[in-house]
Parts: sequence; structure tokens; C-alpha cells
Amino acid sequence: MLSVIFIGRRNPLGKYVLSRIFQTLPVIFGVLIISFFLMIVLPGDPVLSIVGERYDEKTVEIMRDKLNIDKPLSFRFFHFISNTVRGDLGTSFITNRPVLSEIMEKFPNTLILAVSAMFIAVLVGVSLGVYTSLVPGSWIDKAVMVFALAGISSPVFWTGLVFVLVFGVHLAWLPPTGYGGVEYIILPSLTLGLRSAAQITRLTRASMLETLNQDFIRTARAKRLPRWKIITKHALPNSLIPVLTIIGTDFGSYLSGAVLTESIFGWPGIGRLVLESILKRDFPVIQGTVLFMAIIFILVNLIVDILYGTIDPRIRAGERN
Amino acid sequence: MCVNFRGVAAVSILFVFVGCKNSVPDSSLQLALSADIRGFDPALAVDVRSGKLISLVYDNLVHFGDSTEILPGIAKSWRISKDDLEYRFTIRDSIFFHDGSSLKAQDVVYSISRILSPEVLSPQSWMFLKIDGADAFMNKKSLSVRGLTAKNDSTLIIKLKAPFSPFIQYLAMPAASIINRKMEKLINELPAGSGPWKLLGWNRDGEINLVRNENYWGEKPLENTLRFRILSEAITQSAEFEAGNLDFLSIPPTEINRWKQKDKHKNHIEYSDELNIWYIGLNCSRPPFDDYRVRRAMNLSLDREKHLHLLIPGGELSSSAVPPSLLAGNHKINPYPYDPEGAIGLLEEAGFAGGFDTELWVGGGSEMFHVLEAFQADWASIGINVSILHSDWNVFKASVRNGRPPMYYLNWTADYPDAENFLYPLFFSEQSMKKRNRYSNPNLDEIILKIQSSSHGQVRDKLIQKACLLLHNDAPWIFLWHKGSYTLTQSYIFGYKPKLVFNAERYIYWEKKSVG
Repeated sequence: MLSVIFIGRRNPLGKYVLSRIFQTLPVIFGVLIISFFLMIVLPGDPVLSIVGERYDEKTVEIMRDKLNIDKPLSFRFFHFISNTVRGDLGTSFITNRPVLSEIMEKFPNTLILAVSAMFIAVLVGVSLGVYTSLVPGSWIDKAVMVFALAGISSPVFWTGLVFVLVFGVHLAWLPPTGYGGVEYIILPSLTLGLRSAAQITRLTRASMLETLNQDFIRTARAKRLPRWKIITKHALPNSLIPVLTIIGTDFGSYLSGAVLTESIFGWPGIGRLVLESILKRDFPVIQGTVLFMAIIFILVNLIVDILYGTIDPRIRAGERN
Repeated sequence: MCVNFRGVAAVSILFVFVGCKNSVPDSSLQLALSADIRGFDPALAVDVRSGKLISLVYDNLVHFGDSTEILPGIAKSWRISKDDLEYRFTIRDSIFFHDGSSLKAQDVVYSISRILSPEVLSPQSWMFLKIDGADAFMNKKSLSVRGLTAKNDSTLIIKLKAPFSPFIQYLAMPAASIINRKMEKLINELPAGSGPWKLLGWNRDGEINLVRNENYWGEKPLENTLRFRILSEAITQSAEFEAGNLDFLSIPPTEINRWKQKDKHKNHIEYSDELNIWYIGLNCSRPPFDDYRVRRAMNLSLDREKHLHLLIPGGELSSSAVPPSLLAGNHKINPYPYDPEGAIGLLEEAGFAGGFDTELWVGGGSEMFHVLEAFQADWASIGINVSILHSDWNVFKASVRNGRPPMYYLNWTADYPDAENFLYPLFFSEQSMKKRNRYSNPNLDEIILKIQSSSHGQVRDKLIQKACLLLHNDAPWIFLWHKGSYTLTQSYIFGYKPKLVFNAERYIYWEKKSVG
């Protein structure tokens, strides 16, 4: 990323990336402010999660003081901002560990799940989408569209539980839940990925159908280019822009943690970390993860924007103009 | 685009292989936890899960037995002075922490002082405030706790400010674990104990693996390794149990009939008592519940027998605050009967002939929501309109502390097997007025203080009976039930025996044996 920035002064793509990164700064600052004030308006008391049932009042008082809970808003705000800017996201109220290490410990697991789910989604979605666009109206096309509709309509927790019961318990092909080797990733990534796969299938099909009717495809056919070449070189790249948008947003949300999938499959990712910290009012963890998620989302969108330009040179040309 | 696909595939396969770690031998005992523990620092553990795990990797002076009894731990014997103020413990020789250093009486002094230390700021400091000089140490007026002395390596003396009969039980609680001060720095991550199990690996939010401590001074666990998997969903735990990946399962009451129908499992279901009470707290400082007649009417208006047996199999109706297993002798108090007529009469007497409107607050994802709706119908039949307000657990707890809910549905589970653990924290005026349902009764306070100071025996048992009767008549709560738990073990698990206190289970006698 750094090399791209430095090239940026002479290179239009680099300049574009640089300006985009610059634009994200106010967004991140906005997220910081919102996440801070959300903690202020959130009802409940974090100290009650820390002290358990039989606390004495004095401990509660000292704890409140230590955690700055009763300090003036302005003090807390500047304390929070200055620490965050210095890269210190604070310490978890509950586990007493630095928030950053909590996040970095969970993030690789979330990344594994997100990448595998996206891999399944793209593989299944794009191939089915392309194939059905070539045989519109056939029984296969109709069957795939029914599958896609079912995929979009099924809630993740339901699909997940069905997979656990069918493949984990009754057929016993795979471990029902848990975390470990290759066999553990299959069910959660299928659960998470199939929804996106369904969406990508529908979008790829529609986009391909539109592209295949374009003049340049007719020209390619007239030039007697082989069919596979027309599809892979001309039709598919021109149909991918809307698909890429969906991939980008879905991937961003997977990286921010898939709470339901992680809970069903006992997958130790960011989603469960956020959920637990919200339930226990672990403010530093909530704020840290919200900020982290926002940055991840922004980064993924930036990459998607850059990929637009790679796939479609007209977008780059547009930027240059 | 092809290159991109290949890249994605390569990265995902790479991550999948990076993910392969912590493989546990099949022989390990496998259990589930519904969420991760907070850590291994006894000073910070206030939740049941952390407490359970801490009791496996640490030792205490004494331990809880299967029921209410107290067993020797690292203290092989102890003597309590006639005035109930001095506890003299004789510590066993040759006890070693997991790092090989030996455990001595000075370590006990250090561990207890640490809980009181103003630097550590332990939420469990209340446990040791009864020790002479604890306040001065906490307020930094003294460098050590006056009442804690290690006479020599094997003799420990604890002096209390005033007689306090549950004190010996406090010493079996997780916060009273003996720690190795050399390992204190990383204590929340790496246990610094001498217990029968050692930490093998902790994949946060994933699993915790323990291995048998081969140098343990007492009876060593029969199995080699113990694996706790963190599975937040009950249905996921059931699936893992059915797939043979868990050896033990706590069955939610609503699922018990399903398991009873399975031939493979029905003979391995066990029901055991627990030390808990489920209740509806009534705010005694505000109308209408500041009148005992209204509170009694609330108790009489519920058909608890029907709801309990129809909706929650197992369990016992409660008549007062203390579970029957903690009551000595045969002084049973009968639970309030279902008597809507009587309830209407009491309401009329109290000036609420036409009934009234009120709110019942519930916190978290309560599995008993359907039961509360059944209650709602019972109350409606005598003219009391109750709206149920459901909120997030933390908001709920904060509201109860602030005395906002007129009625709230909650439960209490004992930390130690003594009636005092149900009376003082829940009904002693100072506690109830600040944290709970704003109930204050000087007569009861006096009885509770006497219970705390008198040694175990008939006099104390009678005082407990008296307190229970007073609470029954005064009805600061709607007393619901004491619920046991259903557990299921795989057919090849031997040596499991239910325990009354949550941290008494140390998995010493559990064994996996092939059957048939």
C-alpha cells in the first residue's frame, strides 16, 4: 500500500488511491465520534458486569473512578480520542487485556471464514450465473433460479442449523461445529457463503444477459471468435462491475464478523467478540471493534474501487478526465 | 480475473492450514462452556464459568464435597478456637505449584492479602473483610493484614474481627485459591496454581485444554486431558453431544422430553438438586407492594404447581428463601397455595378491591418467558394487569439496582452451601435497600446477624427456620421454585456424580471406558 502511495505523485492510479485514503479520514473520525457517543447513550452499567453479585459499594466507587465512568464528558472524549490516535484502543473492562490484542487474536479466524465463504460464493455464484445466462429459459436455468431465490430467502441461523444436523449429526461427514482443521471450515463457510452465492448468481446472470446482447459481442461473434473466448474475454469482464460491488459489500460485512454463523458453529471470530462486549457493556472493546470494522469496510471498498479500474479501463479514464 | 480467483483460492487454503492447531487426543474428556471465561485470576473471577475452571487449576485450604460438607484441601487439618475467632490451619508438606516451587503457609497469606489489596481492586474483597485488620490494609493504613499470620511454613492462623460461621466455606470459594506469587504477572492468562489440572492451551472463545498434573499431591485425575469447548448455543451443544464430540451435556428443561425418548440416552439422564431459587422480586418501598397483604395476595394468585409441572419438569415449589437441602430437621413451611379468592380478599383489605396495573421486568434471553405469560393470565383473573417489560441483561441489572422495577423476575444461585448465603445478600436491609427490592425488616436483620455469628448447630438451625418463616409471612418476593438440573453423560463415561456447589466438580474420578 505504501509503495502505491509513493508512486502516487506520478501515477494517476496512485493519485486516485491517495485521494481516496485522504477522503476516508473524516469518515474514520466520524465513526470515532459516533462510537464514543453511542457508549454515552447506551443504557446499563459496565461496572455491574465486572463486579458480579456480591460487590461492596466501595469497590464499585473505586472501579467507577478507575474506569473514568463518572468523569466529565469532555475529559472522557479527549482521553478516548488522544489514546486512539496514538494507537491505544484501551483495555477490556472484563478480561483486562488490551483491546487491540483481543481484536488481532480474533481477526485471523474471521478472515479465514470470510475468505472461504467468499471463495465459495464467487465460485458457485459466478459459474452458475454465467452458465444460466447462456441457457436462459432452460430447466437448468429455472432450477438454479429457484435455488438462488431459496438461498436469498433462507435465514443464516436456519441454514446453519440444518447443515449441523444433516452433515454433522445424521450423516456424520463433518464435525458439527468447532474450530480446527480443514473439515471445520466447510460447514460455516457454506452457511455464510451460500447466501452471497445466490445473490451473485442472480446478478451475474442478469448482467451477462444484458452484455451478451450488446453490439460488441455480436461483432465478436461475427469475427468467429471461439465461444469460450467471447464469454471469458469480452462478456464476463464487462458484466462483473455490479457483481464486484456485491462481493465488496458482502466481504466487508463478513470481515466485520458474522455473529450468527460464528455463534452456531462455535467459531471464535470478531462477531462473537462484539456481541459479548455489547452484552457486558465492555465499552473499550465495543469502541475498538467498531473502529476496526469501519476501517476494514473502508479498505475493502477502496480495493473494490481500484479493481473497478483494473477490470474496466473506462473507469480509470473517467478518473483521469 | 483468473489470477484473482487463483489468489483467493491459495489464500483461503493457506488460512485453512494455518487454522489447524491444538489437536487433542480422543481420550480427553470433552465438555462445553456457554461462553469463554474471563481469565485465571481468582481475584477477578466473579462468574460461574471462571470459578469452575479456577477450581481445577488451583487449590484452596479447604474444598467443597459432593454435598454441603467441607473437605481438607492443602490444609490437612484445622482448629477453630472456642470463641470462634481464630482459625489455625496445618498445611500439608510437599505441595508444589505447577512450576515446581513449593507451596507454604506464606503463600496463603499472600493470596488472601492480594484479594484485599487496593492495587488489585478485586470485586471479591468482601469475602475477607471479616478478617481482623482487613479494613486498615485496604485503606493503605497498614502494610499487612493483622489477622493473617504464617507461624511457620506449615502453620497458618487467621483471626476474625467477630465470629462468622460461613467463613470456613468462604475459603473453598474460587477467590480463596492459593496462588504462586512468582507467576502473578501473567496470572489472568496463565494459571499460577497447584491444582489437579494444568493449562495446556487456551484458544480464546474456542476451547480451553487442561492436562493432568502428574505431581499433584492428592488423588490424580483418572483421565489425561480435559477439553472445554466454548459453544454458545444450547442446540449446538446438543448436536455435538449427539455426534459424540461432547461427553457431558446440561439439558435445558424444555428439551428433557426429547432426550427421554432416545433409547441410547434415556438411561444416562440424571436429575440433581441445585442450590438456587427463582423468584419475582416485589419493590417493598413503593405502593402497592409496600403493603404485605398485597404481597401475600400476589403469592396466592399464582397456580405455581400447575405452571411448574407443565412448563418446567423437575424442581420444587419454594415456600421461603432457602432451598430445602440447606434446612436442617423437619421444620417444613408449606408453600403458598393457589387461592385466588383469598388473594381477592387480601387485596380488598389493602384497599385495592378493583386490582391495579403494574410492570414485571425481565432481563436477558429468559427461557421462561412463556411461564411469565401464564402468570400474567393468573394475575389478570384477579384484576391485576401486569405488563411484561423485556430488556437487555445489563440494563435490567442496573434497573434492579436502582430500584426501578415494581416487579422483577430473577434467580439466585448459592456461592456456598449455607442458608446465610440466601438470607444476608438478598434480605439484609443494607443489601436489599441498595441493590435489590428495597426490603427492610430490623427483626430479620437481627436474626441474620445472629445466624452469621453463631456456630453450626441446633440454635443456628432454629434461627434459620425463624428467618424463613418471617420471610414467608412477610412475602417480600413471590417465591417460585428451586430448580434442579438435568444432565446427560455418554454411556462410556463413568465416575460422574452431581455436586451441590458449582465449583466442587474437579473431574478426578471421571473416566472413559468402553462399554460392552
